[in-house]
Amino acid sequence: MCIFITYIMKTVITSSDKSFLNLSELRRYSGLFKYLSLRDVSVRYKQTKIGFAWSIIRPLINILIFGCLSILVDKTQLPTQKFLMVSAGVIFWQLLSSAINEVSNSLTVNSNILTKVYLPKLILPLSSLLVCIIDFLIAFVIFILLFIFLKGLPTWQLIFLPIVILYGLVFCFSLGLLFATASVKFRDVKFILPFIIQILFYASPVFLSTEFILKLNMPEFAKIIYQLNPFVYMLNAFKYCIYGSFDNFNILYFGISIGITFLTLIVSLKYFLNFEKSFADYI
Amino acid sequence: MSQIAIKVENVSKKYNLLHKQKDQADSLIGSFGGSIKNMFSSKKTSTLNEEFWALQDINFEINKGDRVGIIGRNGAGKSTLLKILSRIVKPSTGSIEYYGRMASLLEVGTGFHGDLSGRENIYLNGSILGMSKHEIDAKFDEIVAFSEVEKFLDTPVKRYSSGMYVRLAFAVAAHLETEILIVDEVLAVGDAAFQKKCIGKMNEISNKEGKTILFVSHSMQSVQKICNTGIFLQKGKIIEQNTIDKIVNRYLQSGDTGQASFDIPLPNEPINGYITKVIIENKQGQILHEIPVGSDWRVRILINVTQPIQHFIVGLGIVSSFDTPIRTSWSLPENISVGNYEIIFDNDDVMLTSGLYKLVIGLSSHVRTFQYIDDLITIIISDAGDAANNNRIINTDSGLILNPMNVTLNKL
Repeated sequence: MCIFITYIMKTVITSSDKSFLNLSELRRYSGLFKYLSLRDVSVRYKQTKIGFAWSIIRPLINILIFGCLSILVDKTQLPTQKFLMVSAGVIFWQLLSSAINEVSNSLTVNSNILTKVYLPKLILPLSSLLVCIIDFLIAFVIFILLFIFLKGLPTWQLIFLPIVILYGLVFCFSLGLLFATASVKFRDVKFILPFIIQILFYASPVFLSTEFILKLNMPEFAKIIYQLNPFVYMLNAFKYCIYGSFDNFNILYFGISIGITFLTLIVSLKYFLNFEKSFADYI
Repeated sequence: MSQIAIKVENVSKKYNLLHKQKDQADSLIGSFGGSIKNMFSSKKTSTLNEEFWALQDINFEINKGDRVGIIGRNGAGKSTLLKILSRIVKPSTGSIEYYGRMASLLEVGTGFHGDLSGRENIYLNGSILGMSKHEIDAKFDEIVAFSEVEKFLDTPVKRYSSGMYVRLAFAVAAHLETEILIVDEVLAVGDAAFQKKCIGKMNEISNKEGKTILFVSHSMQSVQKICNTGIFLQKGKIIEQNTIDKIVNRYLQSGDTGQASFDIPLPNEPINGYITKVIIENKQGQILHEIPVGSDWRVRILINVTQPIQHFIVGLGIVSSFDTPIRTSWSLPENISVGNYEIIFDNDDVMLTSGLYKLVIGLSSHVRTFQYIDDLITIIISDAGDAANNNRIINTDSGLILNPMNVTLNKL
């Protein structure tokens, strides 16, 4: 006689609101993460005539618009210098803003899945990031080619780039998660988001450099608020990795903006986890 | 000894219903002002909160390997229960324990993307339902064979016919490797041949692999085919948990299904006679909520006559759910005096197939119709319960009329 002992997983469902970050479950669903990410990538340019070419044309047009505009507006610097500076900001900003956008919409767009099947819900915002990253990588290659053509090789500080990009993604993911969770209940988010992103565009050194903003005749508190914006140091750090010089570096503000980033991450995760179990009731 | 697969204790689910009171604002500016006011006022004067308990105090246990049919009319809480069990919504009170992996199929093709090919959708949908890549790889050929879409695997599914789409979607779900499977009404889609195939597959899964299945359907026939035990839900409460045959019969007798007697509203204009009530019953005079397929039934119509009527005729028509008139019968013309009458239409010759039918009734005098009822009375002919054992019927879905013709075989 033999006895088989099989391990059978036990699951308990309760009425409590509490849910916690279950990393082992997320890992078990890594296959789903992969297929959801691939879905977003492969349907992106479906039924377009030129398909994948869009991911080259879009950043190129952006670089040209803002690069040329900056040469026209600011005559104090060398045109190539100014052009490259602004286009670096533009391509990184494109990654950051699209990450906020995609993550914010990730829950409402997938509402049909949320209401029909159980899955660790954090997968949805996470998997929406891949599209943005792939678009960015293509844009970055275009930018580096332009850079080498116009100026030469980038500085050795380029090795810090992955850290800066990761840091940027963490912050944008946190912001996006906050918006995504709120939008489950309040679709107002969908309408206000474009304005927020537009304001952030001007309040961050994408087109208007930090040097330019700080020289403006503004009250002191406005300048402080400006420097607390995590995007300021994020974008300047990105430019630093390419040029090797940091625009208005201040260790205090730098530290605070990093603090704000991680605070945002914690707050948004907490908000998400507290509300996660009720998503299907509200969406 | 049987093991417990699912244990549900004191589960309730509450929803808050918001009743918006009629807005006073008639203009765009007025309504805009209203929404601004709502934004800033903490007191919600214009909305009334009402609690609605979709489920109340649900307790049950399900043994491993049981196939449980959950039965109840619309709004009884079946779908809510399945959603709670599959962790899509959380219960308001109570707790649930279950053992093993659980997959739920509340909809065919959850997460299907029209722009992706059949192949890509198999992987996407499979992983949404909780399968790993290895499992999908291993089952891929079986899934494709079951779905019968081999030729179109690399076509975007938005180009599929709806039948192909549903077949592919069900095929993925049917190959889930979980201990517990929750299925909600998904068999309602697709044609009859496909439904049979699905039911066959579900039977195969549950018998061979010893899976625990929870199944919701309005088709008593498929519930009886698939399940061995049942739970009867009514208004969010469990009425009974028992073997499936007992549950189905209880459900049919509960009056929770069809309506058996219809009070006809008084006519708007004064007429000489009018119908007060229509009753569906069997030959013994027992009212029938659902008419078992193949059994005799009759319609009893109560009429109140206020003025003598010359050349009085009552007509009764049966109309199929596709609005096809099936048969019409008339009473013989008579001159009647004031009083209450009943008239009986016996249906003991034609056996109709299961489904919904409409009754149309008209009263006339000298061939002029003065009362006509065409949208009030619906009857259900059901192939569930004891009807399945009726030896007059060979097949319940081979036509509207089940009576066979007289068939003779002669050697020439």
